[in-house]
Amino acid sequence: MWFVRFVSSSIGKKVTMALSGLMLLLFLCSHAAGNATIYMSRAVFQGYADELHSHPLIVIVFSTGLFLVFLAHISLGLLLFLQNRQAGASRYTVSTRVVTNSLASETMPYTGLCILLFVLIHVFGFAFGPTGEMISDTVKRLLGHFFYGLFYLVAFAALALHLSHGFWSMLQTFGVNHPRYNKMINKLTYIVPLFFLLLFGGIVLYFMTGRGASF
Amino acid sequence: MSTIDLTLQIWRQKNSDSLGNLQTYTLTGISTDMSFLEMLDVLNEKLTKEGKDPVAFDHDCREGICGMCGSVINGIAHGPEKETTLCQLHMRNFKTGDILVVEPFRSRAFPIRKDLIVDRSAFDRIIQSGGYVSVNTGGTPDGNAIPIPAETAELAMDAAACIGCGACVAACPNGAAMLFTSAKISQLCLLPQGKVERKARALAMVKIMDEEGFGNCSNERECEAVCPKGISIRNIARMNREFIAAALFEG
Repeated sequence: MWFVRFVSSSIGKKVTMALSGLMLLLFLCSHAAGNATIYMSRAVFQGYADELHSHPLIVIVFSTGLFLVFLAHISLGLLLFLQNRQAGASRYTVSTRVVTNSLASETMPYTGLCILLFVLIHVFGFAFGPTGEMISDTVKRLLGHFFYGLFYLVAFAALALHLSHGFWSMLQTFGVNHPRYNKMINKLTYIVPLFFLLLFGGIVLYFMTGRGASF
Repeated sequence: MSTIDLTLQIWRQKNSDSLGNLQTYTLTGISTDMSFLEMLDVLNEKLTKEGKDPVAFDHDCREGICGMCGSVINGIAHGPEKETTLCQLHMRNFKTGDILVVEPFRSRAFPIRKDLIVDRSAFDRIIQSGGYVSVNTGGTPDGNAIPIPAETAELAMDAAACIGCGACVAACPNGAAMLFTSAKISQLCLLPQGKVERKARALAMVKIMDEEGFGNCSNERECEAVCPKGISIRNIARMNREFIAAALFEG
């Protein structure tokens, strides 16, 4: 069937990675928008969370879809990692990277696994946290722990590194590579991860440093 | 004329079935005006006089246009100079005391035949699957019958500059042949004569590329950095577009 042939081809796998990556990026945007209400006040944040969870159907449909997208991105990423290691790794006695600034592209599988670990801990801490507790109290309690907060900051740094290759790589896979737009894309591939790092990191620092004690 | 003294560590392998290893040779008084291949010629003359087996390496035109030569020098395909084939790499890029590790272009799809010679016929099979335009025989067509914008012609020419040396595969951390295949697909799909078969071509060439055992592209950009002809990964983006469109509506 054409679809199976497409997805199992080398370019099809790339496109599936890019497409699931794009969906995860869009989720990240909506998550960031929701979390940004923390910067306003406890009432606004709690109001947003209550409003969201007063529509259980939306939450179930979107979280199931997100889970499937995550599953596709991770399993295909691991498959590509294993396939590529078989095809290429440690072929040479001396191996030199000619491309400067290849840290992000080289570490994609590892930063990806860091993000997975973070997502698991984050989901079990917040989504499946103690029932009956207000979400704003959970945020304050968990992020108030120094090491918990530190772990979050490290995970956000891994996310930023992952995105700094992922964003450009996604557009290249979709075929978006044109001299007119490349300069802008090259800037955005740093601006987008930095935006998420500052927004999410700021929340963690707010609670970690004790400034959010009265939240 | 300045000369340099070098230590070479060259991959020696008897044939496809045997295990290879690096062997060390020292050369003194190498002229800096020599090309890398001429330096290897000097080594081979020395080895022949000593009654030893000379180092087997591929070469043909020795002017950087045929795509036959190529080895990995200290981890870099075609050596340290940008946009240069191995035959056009001159010894003035090196200095006395340098240790040069010379290895063949390695990939699962490029089996080693002997020493530095690899079998790149996988590239030929990719070309056979679609790297052509079908033209029925007949009278000679007028050269200007099909107008082509200058920019399009230039882009096609940039892609057609690919000499099929395989450095992109050798440099790719995944051993992918995306840059080669995309250059060949781009060169034809940009021009009106090649547009007729563009979808079938994209599907066929990518299929054979996958079957030949090349790895998957993960956008590491190493291919573009070592390409002796400066082929841009913009071609890979174009191939992605060609393949996606073909797979969704044709395949």
